[in-house]
Amino acid sequence: MAGASPPSSRRVLLVAGATLVALVAAVLCGLAIGPTSIGATRIAGDAISHLGIGHSTLSPLQSTIIWQLRAPRMVLGLLAGAMLAVAGGTYQGVFRNPLADPYLLGVAAGAGLGATLAIVDIASAVAVPAWTPLLAFVGAMVAVTLTWLVGGRSLRSTPATLVLAGVAVSALFTSAQTFLQQQSSTQSIARVYIWLLGSLATASWHSVLVVVPYVLICSVVCMMAGRALDVMSVGDDEARSLGLSVRTVRLVLVVASSLGTAAIVSVVGLIGFVGIIVPHIVRLLVGTSYRRILPLSVVFGAGFLVLADTVARTVMAPSELPLGVVTAVIGAPVFVGILSVRRRSAS
Amino acid sequence: MTMVRVENVTLRAGTTTLVNAVSLDVAAGTWCTIIGPNGAGKTSLVAAVAGLRSPASGAVSIDGQRLEDLNERRRARLVAYVPQHPEIPAGMSVEEYVALGRLAFHGVLRAPSARDRQVVAGVMNRLELGNFRQRDATSLSGGERQRMVLARALAQASKVVVLDEPITGLDVRHQMDILEMLKKEVTECALTVIATLHDLTLAGLFADRLVLLHRGEVLLDAGAHDVLRSSELERSYGTTLRVVIVDGHDVVVPVLGGRRGRPMPL
Repeated sequence: MAGASPPSSRRVLLVAGATLVALVAAVLCGLAIGPTSIGATRIAGDAISHLGIGHSTLSPLQSTIIWQLRAPRMVLGLLAGAMLAVAGGTYQGVFRNPLADPYLLGVAAGAGLGATLAIVDIASAVAVPAWTPLLAFVGAMVAVTLTWLVGGRSLRSTPATLVLAGVAVSALFTSAQTFLQQQSSTQSIARVYIWLLGSLATASWHSVLVVVPYVLICSVVCMMAGRALDVMSVGDDEARSLGLSVRTVRLVLVVASSLGTAAIVSVVGLIGFVGIIVPHIVRLLVGTSYRRILPLSVVFGAGFLVLADTVARTVMAPSELPLGVVTAVIGAPVFVGILSVRRRSAS
Repeated sequence: MTMVRVENVTLRAGTTTLVNAVSLDVAAGTWCTIIGPNGAGKTSLVAAVAGLRSPASGAVSIDGQRLEDLNERRRARLVAYVPQHPEIPAGMSVEEYVALGRLAFHGVLRAPSARDRQVVAGVMNRLELGNFRQRDATSLSGGERQRMVLARALAQASKVVVLDEPITGLDVRHQMDILEMLKKEVTECALTVIATLHDLTLAGLFADRLVLLHRGEVLLDAGAHDVLRSSELERSYGTTLRVVIVDGHDVVVPVLGGRRGRPMPL
């Protein structure tokens, strides 16, 4: 089988440039599009006026809409998209499995159980309680730790052992979550469900500040791992014989991408598909080296999620579509497209 | 001077003993080939010499350093490993693949240095891979691919190279190419080679010494001339063998209709 030949550095630069331009466009769309339409140039003028250059043409209300509602939501979207995409790409390298992402080791099921615990606990409350993100985060980390203790500790355990342990732990947490829901009221089930589908609607500068440290540290760790993941593509034994401490690298990367994903999931809920489709699209454009895939996934994922969120909050305005639904609706056909391109290039 | 010392090494998989109390000393700048029937424990033994398998008891030392006391990076600078079925990742150029051998020098967070690139270019020229630099690694033929894997191992610039069946599936000319290139490294660069081979004639032709492994134990450890003519060799493989001399070299041929007894019990 002849693989795709390594891409030229000119092509990689071109793709990187185009992706950055798309990111800027996505950011402007995220700020400009909404029930109150405000032109992108006026927003840019307002932003520059804060630096003391020129003066703003926005009314105080418009300024509040932009900087207190849309901007934190857009920034949270950037962070979530970047983290989910780079974590997915990292998992695919660590497990040498094109379908891996952090949800695989129990992050999703753990966060789901944590959020369910928080939401069904108080039957009378109307809103989702404030400690939901905290419990979701704890749930996600407990699940991943449990997976690691079951499947990752033995000396000769393989990636497959870890993945199987993740499947088992996920099943356990999901069944606990189902049991809790079955015991609770219909309204709280609906709230749990809405939370699970993921949304950026509750974004604030506070939630941005909560996730920023996790996303920064974890995504930088993942991006630094490109070379290690390229070496690991020859298999565990050969990578070790080349001088790579495979177990340490795997542990560090699983911790970093799970931690970052847990932080994001606890604030925005379970947004699926980003971690799988974004790295695959990037791979199709710039080849299989993780040194290129991971940094580009950060940029591509950030732009992708901001665009998806813009779609989620506008197509059925004034009501919103769950963000997880939009990413899946965009993601599934794109994924099918990728598969057919691959099949064509393979034959 | 002893380069590789295998002391009383026992290897187990679960409760099965694969290699039982094997000891070997291999001198620097020599070629030692391990032969033996399928299931004798050859692959496990060489994996332990490469530091990829921890012995249940005993120890492997290279250049006086116990492998178990070293991390992967320091080990990779002592011993390189060519597996029986190397995995060639898609989308990597031949040059990038060979450059993987320099990982232990530049580390996982840095790009290869000028010196690393120089070593890679030198090895690729020596193994006649210069024209394949930008080719996709998966697009090479069997012989070219094996040369590329050998180049990766030599790029490690280690004192010892361990090879597990390096010529399986190659035609006779490419088999000779690989073994002759390796021999040149042994004579010119004082490389120490430990290899497993199934072809007894080629084993005798290239090795300074043959070790016959049988059911995880060393049955014979001597020069090729003696091992190839021994009755233990026939009994270990369970078939009748003849040695004929062609141009002064031993050629081992199986005898049609010869005794094909049960392999010898130990």
